[in-house]
Amino acid sequence: MKKTGLIMVIVTGILLIAGTTEFPDWADPNSPASSHVSPYYILKAIDDTAVPNVVSAVLADYRGYDTMFETAVIFAAGLACFFLLRQFNRKRAKTKMYRHVPTGIIIDIDEGGKLPEENSNFERIDSQWTPYDLIIKTTCRIIIPFIQVFALYVIIHGHHSPGGGFQGGVILGATIILFAISHDLRTTIKRLSEKMASVFSSMGVFLFAATGMLCLLLGSVYLDYSALSDLLGTDPVMARSHGILIIEIGVGLSVMAVMIWLYYNLSSAGKHNEGL
Amino acid sequence: MNIVSLILTISGLIFFFGGAIGIIRLPDFYTRLHAAGKLDTAGLLLTMSGLAVYTVSELSLGSLFTAAKIMFIVMLIFITSPTATHAIIDAGFIAGLKPWTKQDQITARESEPTDSQEE
Repeated sequence: MKKTGLIMVIVTGILLIAGTTEFPDWADPNSPASSHVSPYYILKAIDDTAVPNVVSAVLADYRGYDTMFETAVIFAAGLACFFLLRQFNRKRAKTKMYRHVPTGIIIDIDEGGKLPEENSNFERIDSQWTPYDLIIKTTCRIIIPFIQVFALYVIIHGHHSPGGGFQGGVILGATIILFAISHDLRTTIKRLSEKMASVFSSMGVFLFAATGMLCLLLGSVYLDYSALSDLLGTDPVMARSHGILIIEIGVGLSVMAVMIWLYYNLSSAGKHNEGL
Repeated sequence: MNIVSLILTISGLIFFFGGAIGIIRLPDFYTRLHAAGKLDTAGLLLTMSGLAVYTVSELSLGSLFTAAKIMFIVMLIFITSPTATHAIIDAGFIAGLKPWTKQDQITARESEPTDSQEE
């Protein structure tokens, strides 16, 4: 099986490298991309889509099909990490460690022993315990909402300024990872479970693909958002702008959830019991 | 107004300069981070304040907004940068890294006499 995989990888690699020889030269002014595609985008993007940021218009509208599969690749990365690393119920730690907060005494409770109540003076700790740090926790608690608002701004304002779904999604995912680093993995999973992360990541891709499908059902080409004009109650040009926003949200959702999912799996080696 | 902004920016640059020298010259992890923390926080505070003052010198609503945004960035750095320095130093301390002392230098000199020329 390994040898088959190796042969497949090598053959695909050779084919891809052989394919690059057919490409036009670097910065060739007569190549198809430079001769009519790029000038069209630069001149017509604002008239076609009412989006001032040409990058967003090209990424999410003209080349929306490409972007959809980029999102799918990110989702696949999350899935691959999950399938490779995740371990269910294997070698669970026998003892759970609790720390008495006022005195700092650490006790091990064997399997089947009586566990302390949820809001008592005991807190569950990892086997490699790092001391409670008030400064870091407080700062992260203050900073995280601001970062999240900024991330939402980056997603929503992707039409008019540099930004968009990928960037905003990464920032949004980073806030959750920051929370996990400043507190611990268990608290974070309690807030945003693995199930939520997986559902969000597939939902983002689905939102993208479903928007394209809706355009198809309304009698236009796949991912041609101008077909949505009747649904959104706007003219076709504005509908393309709104369509870009919808799929940017989908991309952001997917990227955020995959970031978190990858972090959960990588930081705890797939056990999800204790991590960084 | 321009003179005020000039003074602020130059004093910020002095902090940046000192911090950069400190990162290269100081002997160990903790002292280097000490220099890096100064560089980020004080240097950025002063240079950015200088820029904000320069922006406000042509008084209008737009320039006030720009200055407010700059000060917001400064505030954000002012909260996060010392925390980051603290977190890194804390991690080093928990991991058991011993702070540098004069004694280390003396023992290093005795064991490797060629090193002393660099000091």
